[in-house]
Amino acid sequence: MIRFALILTVALLMSACVQRKYDWNNYDANLYRYYKDPASAQQFRAGMETHLKDLEAKKQRPAPGLYAELGTLYLEQGDRTTAATYYAKERDAWPESRYLMETMLQSLQKPSKDGGKK
Amino acid sequence: MKTWTRLAAVVLVGALGGCATTKPPHDFTEFNKAPPRSILIVPVVNRSLDVDASNYVLSTLTVPLAELGYYVFPVNTVKVVLEQEGLYEPEQVRRMEPAQLAALFGADAVLYVTIKRWDAQYVVISTTVTVEFDYEMTNKNGTKIWSANKQMQYSPQQQQQGASGLAVLIAAAVSAAVTRAAPNYLPLTQQANQQVLVVEPTKLPAGPYASAP
Repeated sequence: MIRFALILTVALLMSACVQRKYDWNNYDANLYRYYKDPASAQQFRAGMETHLKDLEAKKQRPAPGLYAELGTLYLEQGDRTTAATYYAKERDAWPESRYLMETMLQSLQKPSKDGGKK
Repeated sequence: MKTWTRLAAVVLVGALGGCATTKPPHDFTEFNKAPPRSILIVPVVNRSLDVDASNYVLSTLTVPLAELGYYVFPVNTVKVVLEQEGLYEPEQVRRMEPAQLAALFGADAVLYVTIKRWDAQYVVISTTVTVEFDYEMTNKNGTKIWSANKQMQYSPQQQQQGASGLAVLIAAAVSAAVTRAAPNYLPLTQQANQQVLVVEPTKLPAGPYASAP
């Protein structure tokens, strides 16, 4: 019983320390899984998209980088238009990303090496 | 039971220590001259034998840094951009001028992480998993503003101290088998990151978004 109480106390103390600022929806674990199994790309992308739409509906600011990561997942699928939409969202949400996102958007406007949209 | 209680007391003190800020601080003179708002995490240099370790570690760094209040550049997007520039190997990126990298992405600071150890040692029925990382941050001029090193170790059998005899042997054999099939490096990696980034003495100052809702 003492053992149980101690475990509970430790767990509570630890959770008090790690309260999070952002709702990540397991971004790190999903990225890890994506690297381990690239076939999970579509699942990763769909999960992020749903999550970001939920946050927008709740008027919550997504964690830094999430819009851009989703844009890149679209880009890797060859969907440059949707990629650009998310890069623009990242730029508008985070001024620190502006330079990189503008660069990405400009490079998307040029015709791609493999002849545009797949 | 006595051992257990003592262990629990140590863990409890450790957990409390995680929140406390009493140790003398690290030298943050260079850091504070121009505190960064944004941090570029570049692909992780891997000195271990596990070829996948680099990507795994890369996936664990964003959350703790962003939670401290920094803008963290999207690590996978950064990796893809670097690959488009012909930089497929983290070592190639490491050899670039930090100032040039920071300028390429418009970042205030660059974080380099090197995996020094990432291994599991098997001794009949016991397994010890070890990770060790070097962390180094430079500002956009290339000046080093922060660094840390962390080694973490884990032996699953340590958790079965209460039991005895055959039960311990069986439990150890089972956990060694599980660990051998899939050594669990990630929790250790997350702990190492947490220890250097949010615990004294290397704890980073809060970033610009730390108090924003």
